[in-house]
Amino acid sequence: MLQVRNASVFFSARDGRVVHALDRASLDIDANSIVVALGASGCGKSTLLNAIAGFLPLSEGSITLDGQPVASPGADRGVVFQKDTLLPWSSVADNVALGLRFAGVPGRERRERAEELLGLVGLESFADAFPHELSGGMRQRVGIARALATDPKILLMDEPFGALDSLTREQMQELLIDVWARTGKRIFFITHSIEEALFLGTTVVVMSPRPGRIVAHFDVDFVRRFAAERDVRAILSAPEFADLYDEIRSLVHRPQAEAESRRMVLQ
Amino acid sequence: MTDLARSGSRTSDPADRPKIVRLHPFGLDGARTGPISLATALLLLAAWFLATHFRLVPPLFLPTPQEVATQFLAVVEDGYAGATLWEHLSASLFRIFSAAVIAASLGIPLGLAMGLNRWAKGVFDTPIEFYWPLPPLAYLPLMIIWLGIGEVSKIVLLTLAMFAPVCLSAQAGVRSLPIERVNAALSLGAGRWQLFRTIVLPSALPEILTGLRIGIGVGWSTLVAAELIAATRGIGFMIMSASHFLATDVVFVGIGIIAAFAFAFSYGMRLLEAWLVPWKGKS
Repeated sequence: MLQVRNASVFFSARDGRVVHALDRASLDIDANSIVVALGASGCGKSTLLNAIAGFLPLSEGSITLDGQPVASPGADRGVVFQKDTLLPWSSVADNVALGLRFAGVPGRERRERAEELLGLVGLESFADAFPHELSGGMRQRVGIARALATDPKILLMDEPFGALDSLTREQMQELLIDVWARTGKRIFFITHSIEEALFLGTTVVVMSPRPGRIVAHFDVDFVRRFAAERDVRAILSAPEFADLYDEIRSLVHRPQAEAESRRMVLQ
Repeated sequence: MTDLARSGSRTSDPADRPKIVRLHPFGLDGARTGPISLATALLLLAAWFLATHFRLVPPLFLPTPQEVATQFLAVVEDGYAGATLWEHLSASLFRIFSAAVIAASLGIPLGLAMGLNRWAKGVFDTPIEFYWPLPPLAYLPLMIIWLGIGEVSKIVLLTLAMFAPVCLSAQAGVRSLPIERVNAALSLGAGRWQLFRTIVLPSALPEILTGLRIGIGVGWSTLVAAELIAATRGIGFMIMSASHFLATDVVFVGIGIIAAFAFAFSYGMRLLEAWLVPWKGKS
């Protein structure tokens, strides 16, 4: 289990002021779950992910993965970035196998594993292509395959589909659910799309900015329903989906509205 | 039906091709310049030919193309100033190559270190920033006083001229490395050396190659200065020696040879770049 306990992060802004980016966030990510952090920009969701990935130390609090404290980046936490970070000089298969190369896995075994993972994300015929020959959606699929290659305990995804067009994005969401259903990986996923959060998450945590904090938890089951029935339209048109959507929407917008009303009072 | 037939014929008949359009470009945008450059070269040659043919310039200042060609053949045949053309050429190439190898093997690692390490940057930044804008002719006398008039002072002078662009470009290569790429590698379990070998070095390679290309160009342009130092061999020496006797045709031959080699090197570096960093500009 991944446990985040009272995690706080303070940054120093350029003008010397202290920015409270994350305020006492606590979170559990159990086996076989997809936890989606949802919030407007500046709510600390990327800060939280960076801390879990080990790119950023915490000011206060702790993060443990299966009891081990998280201090630095490592292959036990696979990261999929918003911007594609594939190596332009390596073939798709070599990109996927990069983590295996770091681990000292021999070449032939790396190739086999890469092909297997490319099959999982539907790119088996692109093993020898180069990243610049692929579309944005395909590159993100390579990114997912690469993060899975080292068989991490958790997959961390920082708005991975944010830069994709909406049609590709829907395909990628379904692909991710397939990957999750087949590998049983736990996933921490960041988005600012309420619909994406509800569709993908087994748990949705809503975050609010200044200071970034978790304001609500929802346990959701649309993703399990989709994995079983594969009927997107039934899910999106379900009344419970619409109700949750409205509830979360009001939560996401509330702090903004409060801040604005305060400003109006001041004027 | 008729529309369909017409649209079918429109794509198949080349005479009836639709007007192909594209967005208005800005700047060069990949436009071909080769034919224009070739035309310019021919025009310059013609101007040279005409200027000498009608004696617009005294022959002492500007020899005719025929004289230069004859002199070139004479130098190929008999050599110049007691050495064959090949001896002059090999002396110059040896100096340039030795200097390039030394400059690259010192400049690339030092530049990478300066891009990665606070101490390396702090220690070496001041001396490099101080010396590299200096014209090589300015410290040439020091080279002679310190290192004598042999090969060493010439190679050191060329090395100094080539070192700065190579070192600075290796630094710039490290700086251009996106942090996401580093984080991605770390989260895939890369160790320090693996990070350097598989991420930092290839990411910096395009900049390093550009630096080498500039460095070799600077080397050629410093060659004449280096061969001012009591040389008896070298293309630069040939030019300087010929100028003492007002043998402008030999000066022209020397300049032509340097230009041809510098161009060939630059072209070779481009080929090397296309082979080593085919991804450049594509990601």
